[in-house]
Amino acid sequence: MHYLVRTPLFLVLLFSLFISSDMQAETTITSRQALEQTLAQHKGKVVYLDFWASWCGPCRKSFPWMNKIQAEYKSQGFSVISINLDANRALAEKFLVETPAVFPVIYDPKGKLAKHFKIKGMPSSMLIGRDGEIKFRHAGFFINRIPQYQQEIELLLAEIK
Amino acid sequence: MQLAKKLGSKKPNREKVNVKLALTVAATALLGAPCFVNAAETSALNAWSFDTAVLYYAEVDRVTATEAMLGASKTFDDGSVLSLKFTLDVLTGTSPNGAVAQPTTQTFTRPSGNGEYQTPANKTPIYDGFRDRRVQFNGQWTQPLAANYTVSGGVHISKEYDYLSLGVNGSLAYEFNNKNSTFSIGSSYFKDTYNPVGGIPKPLTVMITGSGDEDVDDPTRLGKDDTKSSADIMFGVTQVINRRLIMAFNYSYAKVGGYLNDPYKRLSRVNANGEAVDYVYESRPDSREKQSVFTQAKYNLGGALLKNTMLNNTVLDISYRYMWDDWQINSHTIDSRFYIPIGINSYLEPHFRVYQQSAAKFYQPFLNEPDSLPTYASADLRIGEMTAYTLGLKYGTFVNGGDELSFRLEYYTQRLTNAGFNEPGILSRQALYESVNAIIAQVTYSF
Amino acid sequence: MKIKLKRLLLVPLIVSVTGCANLGVEPWERDLLAKKEMALTSSPIDATFDDHIYFSKEASSGGKGFGGGGCGCN
Repeated sequence: MHYLVRTPLFLVLLFSLFISSDMQAETTITSRQALEQTLAQHKGKVVYLDFWASWCGPCRKSFPWMNKIQAEYKSQGFSVISINLDANRALAEKFLVETPAVFPVIYDPKGKLAKHFKIKGMPSSMLIGRDGEIKFRHAGFFINRIPQYQQEIELLLAEIK
Repeated sequence: MQLAKKLGSKKPNREKVNVKLALTVAATALLGAPCFVNAAETSALNAWSFDTAVLYYAEVDRVTATEAMLGASKTFDDGSVLSLKFTLDVLTGTSPNGAVAQPTTQTFTRPSGNGEYQTPANKTPIYDGFRDRRVQFNGQWTQPLAANYTVSGGVHISKEYDYLSLGVNGSLAYEFNNKNSTFSIGSSYFKDTYNPVGGIPKPLTVMITGSGDEDVDDPTRLGKDDTKSSADIMFGVTQVINRRLIMAFNYSYAKVGGYLNDPYKRLSRVNANGEAVDYVYESRPDSREKQSVFTQAKYNLGGALLKNTMLNNTVLDISYRYMWDDWQINSHTIDSRFYIPIGINSYLEPHFRVYQQSAAKFYQPFLNEPDSLPTYASADLRIGEMTAYTLGLKYGTFVNGGDELSFRLEYYTQRLTNAGFNEPGILSRQALYESVNAIIAQVTYSF
Repeated sequence: MKIKLKRLLLVPLIVSVTGCANLGVEPWERDLLAKKEMALTSSPIDATFDDHIYFSKEASSGGKGFGGGGCGCN
């Protein structure tokens, strides 16, 4: 798992061309590459990695909160990165029109990343520390557990790299 | 004046929110919770969802029922769900009283024991017209426990003029194998009190005609009311087979005890020529043990039939139930529905159901006069031999961004058949097994 | 009859014990199962009304119910 999270710098350089490019180019890279690039961009930050799909009710509930923490903790070196698992990208895009996201979305229509991270439920999230290690994992999203989720983020943000 | 303007506003969206708001306030008040809901608090509005429905059921020349239902459910932050349901129905019309048709006019005592009514020649004897109202309340709480476990519990209360039913239920579900398999166990218990007009008739006693004095103790009555209790237990396995197919298997066992007669049903006692000599009240055992196995498959045909795989999900729903009991009734039920989306906002759903049952061992359309009375006998066609068909069509459409409006129209026909009884003399020329034909119409709005 | 019943009961048992591990989908492949029309009881209101009608007109009732499948979320 480490090799994926701790991305070598050259990969960043290699694919930085694609990041600013249009959708056409985006689809030509694999979901794994897209994630590696995005993680590399946020190296040294605390990352909340979220797996979601348009058909999942609790996922929809988690979006306002993810937008909120993205805005709240961004300045402290934090980012939400989400991975969409819809088999049909058009459905994900429709979802994002209804429920806009202020954080990066990576498309993984074949579920390769989900399989790699052994996702157990929808949504699923992983909290990655500044050192690139996965510190916490959550299956599902429960509004009454928001204080716990935020406590974990604050704990990791407080850690010195 | 701004307020007046607001009140005068006819924007459908606002009205919808207001209805939902009012219902939310009502539901919250009902729970005894502090109620500070304002229109801006959309989260509170989103938490409750409502179902409203009206059903109209009408049999040709028999019973007509109108049933209205209001359901409210709320999902809490921890995933618990509370659902409340109120049902009101009105039943009017007539129902067969169990006696056989005759070529002559027949006279029956009213269920109350006061007065009489007559059935014309060659007509199936029916009760005098009746009207009944029923109110029902159901409450159910479902709560996720530790990961993969869900518990649920509920109560049921229903009251009509001559009947009270109280019930509780509980169930536990365990999901495993990546939530692809679910094992469930559930149980329920009901306690009903029957308080029929005129009291509880004494089984197999001869109905008295021509009486009318209320003060005289009626020898055909046992008392004012009686009770019935039912307990059942059910086991179920649900299995996701693949992305398009899910299957369910259930087994259930039920035990019913107490007063199981229909106090308004009688049997004709006929002579060798089929002529009614008198009428006796029916007599059923005071216990019944039922078991059933049930299996269901739901298959999403997706783009197999229609080109656009993204939006069109045609779903085939087919189930089969086999029920058997110690009254020797066996039944087969096949129920199928086919969900066909039309465009992105509507759907059509044809429905087809076939039901077949054998007669209870003590079922008989009439009694023969010289024979001694059996211990148990009932001429209630509902426990006789029959095949029933339902053919229906439902149309649903999504409006106002997610609300669902649907219409359902069905035709139900019950073909009653002779389970091998001889029809002596004049009875061979009478219709003893008149079929039941009914129309079912329903409108549902969910928001 | 009893033997028949026992055999009938064995089917789901075998399915649940042996077959299950190989059957099913990954959590992110439940898009079609998550649809309302794929729920085992997709129209609970219709089901309630139907149960009431058939309970009043026929000698059999119940045996259905229970959930499963669906979104598999949370």
